This record gives sequence, C-alpha cells and structure tokens, in this order.
Amino acid sequence: MQKSSSSALMVKQEFFTKWKKGLQIYSAFNKEMTIMERKRAIKLSADVAIASTRSATTQWSRAVVADVSTSAAGAARIAAEEILGRKLTERRKALASKKIVRRRRKAAARGVVRSSAAAVAKKRVRNRTRVLKRLIPGRKKLDEISLIKETLDYIASLQVQVDVMRHIAAAAETMHQQQISF
Amino acid sequence: MNSRLPEMLHCLNSTTSENCEMSVLERQRSRLKQQEQLTHHHPPIPYFNGNDHLAYSGFHGDQALSDLVLNGGAMKPDPGVEHDDFRRFMNYGTGTTDFQMSCALPRTVSCPPYVAAASVDSAAGKESCKKRKAHNLKIAAEEKKMKGCAEEESKITEQNSNSKSTTTTISTSANKNNKGPSANAKKASDAPKTDYIHVRARRGQATDSHSLAERVRREKISERMKYLQDLVPGCNKVTGKAGMLDEIINYVQSLQRQVEFLSMKLAAINPRLDFDIENYILKEMFPACPPAMEPDHSHLQFNTSVEEVSGSGLEMVVGPMDATLRRTISAPITVQQSFLDSSSLNQIQQVTWEDELRNLYSMEYQQGRSTPFISQQITGFLEANHVKLEM
Repeated sequence: MQKSSSSALMVKQEFFTKWKKGLQIYSAFNKEMTIMERKRAIKLSADVAIASTRSATTQWSRAVVADVSTSAAGAARIAAEEILGRKLTERRKALASKKIVRRRRKAAARGVVRSSAAAVAKKRVRNRTRVLKRLIPGRKKLDEISLIKETLDYIASLQVQVDVMRHIAAAAETMHQQQISF
Repeated sequence: MNSRLPEMLHCLNSTTSENCEMSVLERQRSRLKQQEQLTHHHPPIPYFNGNDHLAYSGFHGDQALSDLVLNGGAMKPDPGVEHDDFRRFMNYGTGTTDFQMSCALPRTVSCPPYVAAASVDSAAGKESCKKRKAHNLKIAAEEKKMKGCAEEESKITEQNSNSKSTTTTISTSANKNNKGPSANAKKASDAPKTDYIHVRARRGQATDSHSLAERVRREKISERMKYLQDLVPGCNKVTGKAGMLDEIINYVQSLQRQVEFLSMKLAAINPRLDFDIENYILKEMFPACPPAMEPDHSHLQFNTSVEEVSGSGLEMVVGPMDATLRRTISAPITVQQSFLDSSSLNQIQQVTWEDELRNLYSMEYQQGRSTPFISQQITGFLEANHVKLEM
C-alpha cells in the first residue's frame, strides 16, 4: 500500500504543479477576470494538467488535448502549451464520425426482432456502452475492450483531479475565512 | 528433466495448501511424464530444452506457476449464456494482482499447455473445487487425445517458443496456428484442447478460431470489468454488464460534475487565481515521495489512496502549523473527515453533492468561529461570498 499511495501522491503532485503553472499564465495575462472566466481558466488548466499526467498514452488524454487545441484561443492556448511543454497543432475534426453513423444505420436496417431476454440485455448493454462512450472524451474510435480500459484510466484520473481540487478548495475556504475574520 | 518436477511441485506445495490442487498437480505431473515419453519418439524440438522449465520455475517464480496452475482449473465454466460467463469470471477474484502480473503471465508462452492455460489474472483461492473436478475430468479426456495431438502440438509449441511477444499477438497467432491442426484434432463430444497458450476450449463447445478469439475477447472484457468494479464504489452489489455500466456512467458523470463545481467554487473564493498559500498547507500533507512507480498500477489503487492521503493529512497538518493557524486547520480536518466519509462514495449517488457541501459548510462553521450568522444553511457558495463580504 505504501507504494500505491506514493505513486498516487506523485500523480497528484504532478497534476497540482501543472495546474498551478497554467493558472499562473492565466493570471499573468489577465489581471482582472470575471468569475466565469476564472472558472473556465481553472477548469481548463485542471483538465489539461490531468490529461498531461498521462502523457498521451491514453485516448482520452489525447482527445482532451485535441479539443483544447481546436477550440482554445489566446491565454488558454498558451497555458495549455505551457503545461504540456509543447506546441499545440491545429487539428481538423476527423471524418470518422460519419463512418460510425453509417455503420449504425446499416445495423438498424438489418435488425431482426428478437424479444428474448438475452437480446434485450444485449441491447441494454449496448445502449449504455454508447452513453459511456459519449461521456469519455475521445469517443468514437474506441471498441469495447479499449473503452473499458480508457474508462478505468479516466475514472482514476478524475478521482485524482477531484481529490486535489477538493483539498485546495477546502484549504482556500478556510484561508479566506481566516483572512476575513482577522 | 524429471528430477526438476519434484522441485517444482515442492515449491507449489509450499505456496498452495488446498487439497484440490494437489490432485490437479498430480495429474498434470503424470501428463507431463506422458508427454515426455511421447515426444521422445519425435525429432528433438526446442520445446524440451530447459527453456520451458526455466521459464516457469526459475524465471517467473513460484507464484506465477501456482497462479497458472490455479487458473488451469479456472477455465471450466459450464456452457451457458453470456451473462453467466460474466459472473463466472467475476468469481475469479483478482486478489493481489495488478496489471504487471497479468502481463507477466502471458510471457510464459513457451510453457507446456497445461501450465499456460491462463490468461485470466490469478485468483487467490477462489476457485471452487467443482471447477477443478471438471478440469480433472477434462484432463483425463485429454490424456487420451494427447497421443494423437502430440505431434501437432509439438509443432505449435516450436512456433510459439520462437516468438516472444505480447498477449494479444500470441493468442491471435496461436489461434491462427491452431486452425489447421485443430481441425484434425477436433472430436465430436469431447473438449479438445486446441489453443495452446491462453484459451482452453470448453467441454462441448466449438473450437474454431472464431469462437476462441471471441472467448479471449470476452475474457479480456470481463477481466477489465473486474478492475472497474474495484474502482467504482457501489459496483459490487450489481452484477451483470448493464447494471455495472449504469453505475460506471453515474460515477463518471458525478465526477465530472464535481470538477465543474469545484472549479466554480475555486473561482468564487479566490479573486486572484493563486493557490500558493493553499499549496503550502497541502505540501505539509503530502509527504516526500519515494521513486516513481508506473502510473498504470496506480489507478487500481487510487481509490484507497484517497482515504490514505486524507488520513495522513490529518496527522501531518497539525504539526508544523503555528498556533494561530491551528484553529483554522481544525476545519480542514473536519472537511477531510467528511471527505473521508464521502470518499467511500456510497453516499454520493444518493446524496447530491450540493447537500454534501452543505454538510461541509455546516461542519466547518461549528468549529467555534466568529461567524455565527453564516452557520445557517447555504444554498450556494456565491451567497456565502456575499455574506462574507458583508462582514
């Protein structure tokens, strides 16, 4: 257990330092930000930071970075680049999504009405896998096996992210209170 | 060669203590002897060099071997519907394994068949004796077939012992290799053993490469679902893929929402986006870290490490702080305690996270602060901010 906790802590610290880096860049850019801008900055830095802890070994992390590189501008972009330590390249949205749609339509056309319990269960499972796919960034290229692997990794990283953010938020809360009450 | 067998069995004896396995071992031992006798008649093959025995007795250690043996008995599910499969594989149990182990197992490629039958990760001792009896029956059936199949299998092992690669390629190549000879070896009712490395054809099941490959795939899926079960809290109560997927979806959604919420909260609290002070506090909580481990292992243990970190934070925070800060640190401690409770995360699905934060706030404010008027329930943290400013 010692090893596991230490490796988890390392990931957490890595995430935290990267996150702070991103936030520093944001604040260097823009002294006064509205609350929504701040929130977006925090979230983006956190997402890029946690994705970069995986160093592009997983689909979802690559997808997060890709999303950022396509849709980010100005400070966000630079913050992301700083966190990742490399330049973001413009990426075009893949045409793969069309293929998927076509495949699904074919399957639907082929559909045979089966009301057995197994078929119903299978259908339910398939629907839910689809929903899960949508949740995890970097969606459509995943087959079932790798989907589960990605989910595992993604859940673990999210847990790290939430954990660190929660601690920081709690500490910030009390710090703030302390400042005010003095 | 034969002299090594008692050694190995000795090692196995020391590690495993169940009665059922002994019979399996004995049978396997007798089978090995039979095999040797058979293949001595054939031209020499690298299979019978010291390679294999080295591979599993010295190389990968006793644990791998005992695991493999255990799993040799593990592959005997009754023919059934797919959801039964799933539950069956759930029963294997992961025990002490992590991904490393499951990657180590397939390395024993060049092993003789009965040892290398494992692709599922090792189970501690969860195999039922029933499965092993079924396995014993199968072995008896196979022993008869051994004589016919030995020649083909020795060719396959030759091919396989030459290739040392990852699981998937081996299993697929083994499947392809077995297409030819397995067609000859196939019999009507018995369960022939076609795939050498990872998959054993079940009793009365088709043995063509398609179904074998599919079975490998299904095993992989259920193995991973097992890990997911450990990671996602509350998954143990649900069986079946659909239910588990449901839980997983809920969990992922809740985590994502938490991230949103927390970033909003941080934005609200901190007008300047610097977290240095908090960083200082947190640095006290995170102890110095020893050398790195692979991140792949960590996501299995993240869940437990959450509690651990919170636990260690409780002890470490109080020390270096001076008196003035100690009052405020007591609040984070309660925060962490509630976090600890909720980090078992059974409640998160029932209680929304706004409620949870409400609890957090109310617990904090009970710490004897000079902010009595904030102790009323706060519906939004923005409101809290306004209240603070009004002070």
